[in-house]
Amino acid sequence: MKNMIKTTVFATAILALSSNAWAGALENMERERAIMLETLLSGDIVASEKRSRGAISSARLIDLERMVLRDKSLVGKNTPLVRAAFENYDLTFLVHAAAEKNRSPLDHWMTEIGVSTQTILNARTGRR
Amino acid sequence: MIPAKPTIFLLAAAVALASVPAGAAPAIWAPKASERLMKLPGNFLKKAVENDFTNSRLGVEMAETDQKVGLKKETLADLQAAVESADGDLRTELTHRFLVEKKRFLELMRDQQDLRRRRAQTKVSLYEKMLRKLTAKTRGGAPSRLALVANQKAARERFEKSAARIDAQLFRSSVTAESKYARDYATNLAAIENLAQAINAHPMNQAPEVDGRPVSQAEYLRRLITENEAEVALVDQERAILGFMAKLVSLDALALSEGVAETVALTDPQKTPGRLTSALDFFVAR
Repeated sequence: MKNMIKTTVFATAILALSSNAWAGALENMERERAIMLETLLSGDIVASEKRSRGAISSARLIDLERMVLRDKSLVGKNTPLVRAAFENYDLTFLVHAAAEKNRSPLDHWMTEIGVSTQTILNARTGRR
Repeated sequence: MIPAKPTIFLLAAAVALASVPAGAAPAIWAPKASERLMKLPGNFLKKAVENDFTNSRLGVEMAETDQKVGLKKETLADLQAAVESADGDLRTELTHRFLVEKKRFLELMRDQQDLRRRRAQTKVSLYEKMLRKLTAKTRGGAPSRLALVANQKAARERFEKSAARIDAQLFRSSVTAESKYARDYATNLAAIENLAQAINAHPMNQAPEVDGRPVSQAEYLRRLITENEAEVALVDQERAILGFMAKLVSLDALALSEGVAETVALTDPQKTPGRLTSALDFFVAR
C-alpha cells in the first residue's frame, strides 16, 4: 500500500514536470517574418511572385505567432530576445496585428516603423 | 519494609531530575521542501507530510513511545486499584511500586513531549521554507521580468480578444486555408479542456480549505504553521504540568518514606540504635 502511494505521488510529480514546451518557436517566427519582409520589400521580385510568397509566409506566420503566444515556457523567460519580442506586439506578431487593423502585413509594418504614403510623398531626395 | 526507604529517597531525587534529557542520540526527521511537495494538491500536502513523518525514525520512535505510554497507563490503573484494596505492608509495598511506575510514566511522557515538540518544530520549519519558496515564485523577481510578464499577459489578452475575428478574416481566402497546426490545436484544446474539467472535479485536486472555505496555497501554509506553533506552545504548557506531576510524585515519595520511618519507630522502639538498653543483651548474656 505504501509503495503504491509512493508510486502515485512520484507519477504526479513527473506529470507535473512533463509539460515543457518547444523552445524554438520564437526564433523560427523571427526568421520567417524577416524572410517575408525581405521578400515584400525586394525590388528584384515581380509583384505576382511577391503576393504568392507573401501569402505562404503569412500562413506559416499565423501558426508560428500563435505558437509563440501560447508557449508557456516563454512566460517570464527574461532574455533579450523574449523581452524584445513582447515589447512591441504590432511588430512581433505582425500578421495578427495587421489582420486586426485590416491592413496588409507590409502596410502595417511600414506604419509601425513610421513610414506612410504621406511621409514618402513628402520626402525629398538629398545628400546626407 | 526498611530497605524500601533508601529506594524511596532515590526515587524522589530521580523525579526531581526528570527534566534532564536522555543520553541517547535523538531520532531524526528531516523533510525537504521539494518541488514535488510544492506541487501536491491542496489538503494532500498535509497528508504527505504526515506520511513522511510516520516513516521517519522520529515517527517510529514516537509510535513506540505512544505504545509504551498506553501500556504504562494500564499498569498505573492496575496498581492504583491494587493499592486501594491492599492493607499493611503489602499496601506500603504496592504504594512504593505505584510511585516507581508513576516516575517511569512521567519519564515516558517527557520523552513523548520532546518528540511532539520536535515534530511540530520540524513541520513549522518545513512549512516556512515552502512559504518562502512560494512567495519568491509569486513575487516574480526583477522589474524587467515583471515588465516582461505584463507584456506577455497583454499580448495574450490582445490575441484572445481578436482571435475569432482574425480567424474569420484570414481563413476567408483560399490561400490561407486552415493549417494542420490550427486543426490539431483545436482538437487538442478540446481534449485539454475535458481533461482540465476532470482534474478540477477530482476529489484529490480540491483547493485547500480552512473551516470549509477554499483558501490559497500560501494561506493554507500559514494556517499549518500556526497549527504547529500552537502544538509547540501546548507542549510547553504540558511540560509545566509534567513538572507539577513530578513534584507531586516526589512529595508522595517523601511522605511514604516518612510514613515508613514512623511505622518502624513505633512498632519496634527497642531496635533504635541510639538507646543504651538495646545493647543490654551484649552484657547480660554469657
